[in-house]
Amino acid sequence: MKKDRSALSKIWEFLCLFHHGTFVDKRMAVVRKEAYDINDNLMMLLFGDFLGIPNPISYYMLELLPYMAEDLVPWQRRMQNRKFIIAEKAAQYDFD
Amino acid sequence: MTSTDRKVNYRPFTFFGGKGGTGKTSCAAAYALALAAQGARTLMVSTDPAHSLADAYGAEIGFEVVKLEENLWGIEIDPEVEAKKYMKGIQEKMLHIVSAAIVDEIKRQIEIAYTSPGAEEAAIFDKFIELMESLGERFDAIVFDTAPTGHTLRLLTLPEILGTWIEHLIEKRKKAMHMMKMAARYDSVLAEKIEEDPILDTLTARRDKFDLARKILTDPERSVFHFVLNAEKLPILETARALELLRNHGIATGGLVVNKILPPEAGPFFEKRREAQEEYLQDIRSRFAGRKILEIPLLDSDIQGREQLIRLSPLFADLDG
Repeated sequence: MKKDRSALSKIWEFLCLFHHGTFVDKRMAVVRKEAYDINDNLMMLLFGDFLGIPNPISYYMLELLPYMAEDLVPWQRRMQNRKFIIAEKAAQYDFD
Repeated sequence: MTSTDRKVNYRPFTFFGGKGGTGKTSCAAAYALALAAQGARTLMVSTDPAHSLADAYGAEIGFEVVKLEENLWGIEIDPEVEAKKYMKGIQEKMLHIVSAAIVDEIKRQIEIAYTSPGAEEAAIFDKFIELMESLGERFDAIVFDTAPTGHTLRLLTLPEILGTWIEHLIEKRKKAMHMMKMAARYDSVLAEKIEEDPILDTLTARRDKFDLARKILTDPERSVFHFVLNAEKLPILETARALELLRNHGIATGGLVVNKILPPEAGPFFEKRREAQEEYLQDIRSRFAGRKILEIPLLDSDIQGREQLIRLSPLFADLDG
């Protein structure tokens, strides 16, 4: 009886992981990528002047710096290293 | 003051604007003195980066509020000082949150934003809102001596323009957070990180400040904008344009002060000028019909110092109608 239960729970765990790996993980990666992209765009609107794009309220946006400072340098690197927007977009879709 | 003085029916926020050199500062100071004389706790504020309030009043006024006499305070907003204060606050906060190495790395960028066009106006505007919020506790009325027209109009229309911009930013952040939440359904680390969002809070606080300024500025019960001009062609045209623009932005405009009018006793040398002036006065009266028009003669000496301002101030009782 006890043995049966542990075997059952093993199967259940396997099913869970299988479901997660097959259906959830990849999809969630896409959503997360989308979320990060939106945030990158937001950073552009907030701190565009750091890249040379004028911003009418850059002075007021400085007060957001304490919360975004950590992201700022990697973001700048990402923005400056962008090469193919199409390839970037295409990478979001699952072709396999 | 004599007993025939009428009480000024003042609003909490009074602005004096107009073309450079027309006598805005003297008018604002005389008006403030009139309010102080009737017992209202009055603050005179100069928002012109090239301050002259201290010179007009004849006493030291700095970038902090100082008491000048019974019921009268003064301040000359210094954008540089205000911007420095703002920056210092941010840097302190930053040291609490992120490592010194990162602060160091983005220092240069902070400098860029700090010296960007608009930073000065933004700094003045911040102080402006701070003073507006202090109404009621410390002061009953605030009289603003503004910079020449163009600068001031930009300053006053700032909340409307920036409000829209910031609204978009808030929308964008909300959308990103929504996505993050979806992504965090199976990711407890991420979920914890987005539990509270200081960025959204900061943006919202900023938007609320703009909203407050906008509400005050467009409330005719609370704010009014008086124009000072001379009986000459260019000031008349500029005033007409500025009135139109303020109306478009929903800011209430009040009376006009026609300053430095040549009196008949000016002598034969000025006779021709007086004729031209008469025409311009006619023009002002017909063009701005329906508004209070206060005519102030040219005096035989500059209006300077408290004593002379006091002589002028009873005239301003009529300005608010």
